[in-house]
Amino acid sequence: MAELSWVATAPLSHVLKPGHHGAETGGSGVAYTGLSDFALVQVMARRGKASALAKAAKAHFGVAAPLKPKAVAAGGSLLIWSGPDQFLALSPRDGLASPLASLAGPLAGAASLSDQSDARALIRIAGPRARDVLAKFCSLDLDASVFPVGTAAATSVDHTAVTLWRGEDTAGGAATFNLLVFTSFAESLWHMMLDAGAAYGIEVGEASYGV
Amino acid sequence: MRIACPYCGPRENGEFSYLGDATPVRPSLEQGVDAMLDYVFLRDNVAGEMQELWYHGGGCRAWLKVTRNTLTHEISAVEAARGAGAAKVGKR
Amino acid sequence: MSSQSHRLASGGLIDRSTPMNFTFDGKPMTGYAGDTLASALVANGVRLVGRSFKYHRPRGILTAGSEEPNALVELRSGARREPNTKATTAELYDGLEAASQNRWPSLRHDFLSVNQLASPIFVAGFYYKTFMWPAALWEKLYEPLIRRAAGLGRAAEAPDPDSYEKAWAHCDVLVAGGGPTGLAAALAAGRTGARVILCDEGTQFGGRLLSDGGEIDSMPSGEWAAKALAELEALPNVRIMARTTVTGVYDGGVHSALERVSDHLPVPPAHTPRQRLWRIVARRSVVAAGAIERPIVFPGNDVPGVMTASAMRTYISRYAATPARRIALFTNNDDGWKTVEAALAAGLAVAAVVDSRAEISAAQRETARGAGFAILNGAVDRVDGGKDGIGSISVALAGGARATVEADGLAVSGGWNPALALTSYHRGRPKWRNDIAAFVPDSPPPGMHAAGAANGSFGLAACLADGHAAGASAASDLGFSKSAGKASSAADAPETPLSPVWHVAGKGKAFVDYQNDVTASDIELSAREGFQSVEHLKRYTTLGMATDQGKTSNVSGLAIMAAVTGRSIPETGTTIYRPPYVPTSMGALAGTNRGEHFHATRLTPSHHWAEEQGAVFVDTGLWKRAQWYPRAGEKDWLESVTREVRTVRSGVGFCDVSTLGKIDVHGPDAGAFLDRVYINTFSTLAVGKARYGLMLREDGMVYDDGTTSRLAEDHYFLTTTTAKAGPVMQHLEFCRQVLFPELDVQLTSVSDQWAQFSIAGPKVRDLLREIVDPEEDLSNEGFPFMGVREVALRGGIRARLFRISFSGEMAFEISVPARFGDALVRNLMRAGEPFGIIPYGTEALGVMRVEKGHVAGPELNGTTTAGDLGLGKMMSSKKDYIGRTMAGRDALTAPDRQVVVGIRPTDKARRLRSGAHLIPMGEMPEPSTDHGYVTSVCFSPMLDQWIGLGLLARGRDRIGEVMRAHDPLRGEDYDVEICNPVFYDPEGGRQRG
Repeated sequence: MAELSWVATAPLSHVLKPGHHGAETGGSGVAYTGLSDFALVQVMARRGKASALAKAAKAHFGVAAPLKPKAVAAGGSLLIWSGPDQFLALSPRDGLASPLASLAGPLAGAASLSDQSDARALIRIAGPRARDVLAKFCSLDLDASVFPVGTAAATSVDHTAVTLWRGEDTAGGAATFNLLVFTSFAESLWHMMLDAGAAYGIEVGEASYGV
Repeated sequence: MRIACPYCGPRENGEFSYLGDATPVRPSLEQGVDAMLDYVFLRDNVAGEMQELWYHGGGCRAWLKVTRNTLTHEISAVEAARGAGAAKVGKR
Repeated sequence: MSSQSHRLASGGLIDRSTPMNFTFDGKPMTGYAGDTLASALVANGVRLVGRSFKYHRPRGILTAGSEEPNALVELRSGARREPNTKATTAELYDGLEAASQNRWPSLRHDFLSVNQLASPIFVAGFYYKTFMWPAALWEKLYEPLIRRAAGLGRAAEAPDPDSYEKAWAHCDVLVAGGGPTGLAAALAAGRTGARVILCDEGTQFGGRLLSDGGEIDSMPSGEWAAKALAELEALPNVRIMARTTVTGVYDGGVHSALERVSDHLPVPPAHTPRQRLWRIVARRSVVAAGAIERPIVFPGNDVPGVMTASAMRTYISRYAATPARRIALFTNNDDGWKTVEAALAAGLAVAAVVDSRAEISAAQRETARGAGFAILNGAVDRVDGGKDGIGSISVALAGGARATVEADGLAVSGGWNPALALTSYHRGRPKWRNDIAAFVPDSPPPGMHAAGAANGSFGLAACLADGHAAGASAASDLGFSKSAGKASSAADAPETPLSPVWHVAGKGKAFVDYQNDVTASDIELSAREGFQSVEHLKRYTTLGMATDQGKTSNVSGLAIMAAVTGRSIPETGTTIYRPPYVPTSMGALAGTNRGEHFHATRLTPSHHWAEEQGAVFVDTGLWKRAQWYPRAGEKDWLESVTREVRTVRSGVGFCDVSTLGKIDVHGPDAGAFLDRVYINTFSTLAVGKARYGLMLREDGMVYDDGTTSRLAEDHYFLTTTTAKAGPVMQHLEFCRQVLFPELDVQLTSVSDQWAQFSIAGPKVRDLLREIVDPEEDLSNEGFPFMGVREVALRGGIRARLFRISFSGEMAFEISVPARFGDALVRNLMRAGEPFGIIPYGTEALGVMRVEKGHVAGPELNGTTTAGDLGLGKMMSSKKDYIGRTMAGRDALTAPDRQVVVGIRPTDKARRLRSGAHLIPMGEMPEPSTDHGYVTSVCFSPMLDQWIGLGLLARGRDRIGEVMRAHDPLRGEDYDVEICNPVFYDPEGGRQRG
């Protein structure tokens, strides 16, 4: 029998090159981080079961799932609003275990679950020029006065669906934005993002989610 | 143009796709082919306020009923479709 | 004339410490930083800058702003060459190359100026009445001649090396215009804490203050402007955008603005675009765009040296460049006199002032007396001159006598038109004000207010008050309660009212629209011919249709039409205003969406592996798909594809089918939901089984197809064609949320979650046994046709296995989470090596499905029904579903409909082409004998000839008939035989074993 090897390939593995990209601005631009090894589950309330789901989610996650566009930390998971009566549950990947397994029981009957762990790439954009960069491809108003930390949005970038939320500011007090983009679009969007940020100087890195 | 999605807030028009008049109701099988012909092909050409179906496909994927004036383009109301989200809805 | 012969020794806002070299028509010249190309040309004594569009009349610089109609030059060379650039707004940079346009062989000696002799033929609308006879000469002579003479500048002939960007911005208050009004508005709004964006099309802020001086808050206006700017720059909630023109106003508070990021540099710096197109979402906006001075229409008003009065003093005061040494002024208002004051202050001579008003102020009389020039009450009714400038100026005096004025520059002021275009882009029509003889904004778009000169308030004091009030009220409207501070103030001198003078009659051409060469007599002709409505006037004469959109001509033109037709100006009305306010490059409109990045690209999980194999790719919508995998020595695609098909049908091969849409359908009513959208029944499908499904549009036509599997009681896995993945998802959500909201069903797109491969061929089980855990039963009994299961693969990961076949061979589809797609492909190659496994692409996929008579995109073309496709028996009679009722219409069930058949040339060596039409033998090809057409073709390795599928009227009754395939597009005609569409293994035994 032939030797089989099951190496996972992350969506950005061919194009993400850690290091500096673009203009030299002494780090006053942006940092792009490709985050991999996460589990992502789409949770959608069944009809008439929105409050049942809310109760079950609160019991399982310890925190109420967001009813408005927000990302809420719940122990090791992040619950991200993705539409009416639905949210995404983001957590570090647990090896080959099915991300649905741990949720199927607690949420049974109240929600339908769909594994999205491989369907998305996760890109973090942070730094003093993060909003300037995003303004080139995101039509949302991300000003701090209307988009505080924890705000989320289901929107589009380059005509592709994107889930975006504002994370905690960096240690230096600069804004941080997280984007879940569809896997098949990841390389194309990554190139577009590199072009958008080059003028500000980009520090590119990669990391495992949740580490 | 911008549409205020009741779930997401105001968004630019590229996130939405337009279907058409929201007022026609899909006839039942029993109502026969004439009713279905009207439903599929006949539309009022409204000069003024009308209710329109828009899909927030570039956002939360909710279907919306938008009250828009076809002359002034003013949008006066936006509500989600009856069956958006997990709403429990009886049959029409 | 050169070496800055007309540069004033002192003054101006130019930077004399930074000289810049440039060329005009190859002639080297020098200017200074801060110059525009126009001001540098003026400083070098250049008067002749172009030839007019139709008559090739010599033309000079008319204005100093973005309303310029004459001084259109070709800027730069090579790939960056841009035609029709206004010299008045092009910033000078070192090394700038500019050339005049529309002249041959040279600007001074333009052969095409003979057009002027034929000018009686070339009046407005000439092309509707001329070049008609003889008709045969049109294509061979007239059209090529006209084509060569038409146009202005030349576009570049190489790809644009620069990059462009688009960006979004959001604010509470957008202020369009950075003169005194705009600065006051931005200050007022900015101080309240509102988010403000202030745009000005110029390099510097200040507007008319930069040329006209004056005092604000008891300090020189330039000092005031600098203070205002410093205060604005210090406010974190204010964004200041220079070189940015607000170009459009759209619904919902969306504005477009063009930022000329690098136009003023020889080459854009690294990582910097040439231009940036902004979409600015503003809750309120203040239009402080100022006003545009209007010329007066009189014979010879286009002779080089005739300039608007405000432009002349802008060149003198702001740029320290004088267009003339001895100037005259023709005015109907007080404002024009400021040019006399500026000229005298610069030490220039003033020959005379021709003022159409009888009432002259004491101060004006004193100025004339002190400087020793005459004030003539009357009107200029002729200027003589040509490419060398003004020869003489003839004046008709009020009493009837005549006078002649000697001057080399004539400043003309007919009054001011508020720049109100932005306020009228929502089909607004401005209203007429008699007191200023101008249109002012009326009913602007929601949330927008005009202020200052743009609103008809021309005095500096009024502008400051207006701007402050507009900015403050916009902010307070939005709930910003912090103080807007105190408004700034100025003292305006009292003014004698303007007396409108639109057209001074006389001998010779009097130009209204300079850019399109429309004269006063053209307007009179238009009226005579019955084109009297202002919309007809515009299109018949082309008045206002050039790149300047009539900024210096629209109002004068309609005033002349009003006079000629005995109507008032408001009765005559204005045409519709349309964005963009200034010409906008295609580059800016495209931004980064050009070339490779025209749209986002989607890659499959096996893409990079396929690249390593040297696959040839095809674009399928946004996806890149491997089309075939050529091998060394294969001479063309046909050889590669044929090899792929033969190998699959005799051995085993795999194809990446990840691009097909994949949707999770969950919920207690998932099955019932699918029954509503498919023509066949899915609620009865057993768990672990797949079924082919067909979806219709509500009008009964086939919409899409796919294979849908039941993975659990409340979980179906639905697939769509690649092209319809998005539209089907939208359609299903419509059914879920609008049509059938009583059903409990949830939908999630999982297209990118799974890497999916079709593995086909007689050796497929042998291969799978190498990949799949030995415990799994893959036998025909253990894994029957159309079965679906999750299986364990060797090495620990789990996969879904579907026993379905598009190729007609024994086949499975295997899907793994997308992150293992690349690994799966490599494992398939490794494990399949003993069986000669190959990858196959979309071409081979297409060949095999045609051989099996499987319909796909070319047959699901929006005009075919399930019956036409041979799938009528799938239509359930037990349930309602989308399209059921309409599919039952008589016309859609008629027996003579075109239905799917197989087609093959009777000559085995003959190539079949899709699109060929099917004509009965012996008939002439025409619409009535056109019985159908070929939809899909391939070279079939199994039948060793070209075959195809097509649609043929009553096709199922005509199996065996020989017909004509008529292909007029390719000029081909040949015999074909109609046959069973399932060419290969018609019993289907190969896939069911």
